[in-house]
Amino acid sequence: MTTSTLRPVHVVGGGELGPLVERALETVDAVAPSACVVAPVPRRAPLADLTDARLADEVAGSLEAVLAAVRGELTHLGSGAQRGSGAHRGSGGRLVFVLPAEPLMAVGGGTAPSAVTNGVLSMARTLSIELARDAVTVNVLAVAAEESSGGTDPTASLTAQLAALLGPGGERITGQEIYLTAGSDLGRLRP
Amino acid sequence: MTALTGRIALVTGGAGGIGRSICGALAARGATVVVADLDGEATAAAAAAIDIEHPGRAHPLVLDVTDPASRTAAIGFGADLGGVDVLVNCAGVLRDARIGRLEPALFRRLLEINLLGPLALTRLVAPGMAARGGGAVVNLASRAWLGTFGSTAYSTAKGGLVGATRSLALELGPAGITVNAVAPGFVETPMTDGLPPDIRGRTLAAIPVGRGGRPDDVAGAVAYLAEAPYVTGQVLVVCGGRSIGDPYAA
Ligand SMILES: NC(=O)c1ccc[n+]([C@@H]2O[C@H](COP(=O)([O-])OP(=O)(O)OC[C@H]3O[C@@H](n4cnc5c(N)ncnc54)[C@H](O)[C@@H]3O)[C@@H](O)[C@H]2O)c1
Repeated sequence: MTTSTLRPVHVVGGGELGPLVERALETVDAVAPSACVVAPVPRRAPLADLTDARLADEVAGSLEAVLAAVRGELTHLGSGAQRGSGAHRGSGGRLVFVLPAEPLMAVGGGTAPSAVTNGVLSMARTLSIELARDAVTVNVLAVAAEESSGGTDPTASLTAQLAALLGPGGERITGQEIYLTAGSDLGRLRP
Repeated sequence: MTALTGRIALVTGGAGGIGRSICGALAARGATVVVADLDGEATAAAAAAIDIEHPGRAHPLVLDVTDPASRTAAIGFGADLGGVDVLVNCAGVLRDARIGRLEPALFRRLLEINLLGPLALTRLVAPGMAARGGGAVVNLASRAWLGTFGSTAYSTAKGGLVGATRSLALELGPAGITVNAVAPGFVETPMTDGLPPDIRGRTLAAIPVGRGGRPDDVAGAVAYLAEAPYVTGQVLVVCGGRSIGDPYAA
């Protein structure tokens, strides 16, 4: 867990996009308790290579890591969910999931990374509904890698979106999925 | 004659509410069906019922989708019949909690049954399908993939299954194997029998077509995808319109 911004934003999950998120947050001022969950995502592999052990470690293990990371942030975000109290109303934190766009969209040889990223997407969708009663917003940013988005560095786009979600006015934005792909996903069906 | 005449279909969870109906629909279209389920008694009963209507077209098999040896045995059973042409990953469980109360062991269990089992079976079945020129995999996802209150584990598992479905469709398409998902909304089966009356009432009230789903509604969608060689990587949502309206309207 690190704090890297004017107002601390927790970056958790341990995924490869963590350093990018840290960089993007450098100039973002969060106005509420906030956390970015960066899912650890397995590498692409042909289906034939996905042994039972790899499915267990890489797919279930990654999703378990995300669940643990989110649960670890609930109190910080001001969610009553951790205490299991339906009556509690939290004070309104901001939770953002950052995912790689390519496996989220689908890619050949991407069974494991697509299972993880889409599992996290659905987890985020459910949490946006569950945590609404605590006024916690939950959103997803899908970021395409530089090489698959025309060589454009995603950092500035990520900063802009994080500033919108974590900054003033972000309290009315929840359950959204924003693709930062420089158009590399246009014309495709999203999950 | 249909595209399924003489084909071999393996249906996991085949003794459950929806699975049983899928087995019947595939047998009615000419397939020979392996009714594969954890529940041995219910499996035998389901296969016997199908056999009355479609003699010789249903084989019961006890299968635990979370057990590697059991999975391998199921694919072997299908191979002895001529090789599995259609795999329907229908076995599933729904037990869940809000995130703060969700036990990590339950989360893991739901992933194993609803996500890892289907992926492992697809890996086992794909080489044989490819060698015979193609086949079809249909995964039972859920409308919960779009998000559902109190459903962190189930929606994560089903979302993962949808994501894998899309990538598998890209990978296996060149081998003639289609991979699709069906996402049912509320369907009246043993899985939904235990819902508290207030939740059941609210759910039913939010379904535009004015009734809960029947297993046959889902089975028709699965059968269509099992014999549609030009449809792949899709999610067919069978929910009476609940996903288009406000699922929490009532
Ligand atoms: N009923 C609904 O409203 C609904 C909605 C959306 C999705 N679904 C999905 O449809 C599928 C079928 O659901 P259903 O309503 O028929 O449920 P069901 O409970 O009637 O049937 C599920 C079957 O899966 C079997 N099963 C459970 N664990 C197993 C294992 N480890 N190995 C092999 N078999 C196992 C059970 O014995 C049971 O027969 C599931 O994947 C479910 O998630 C159902």
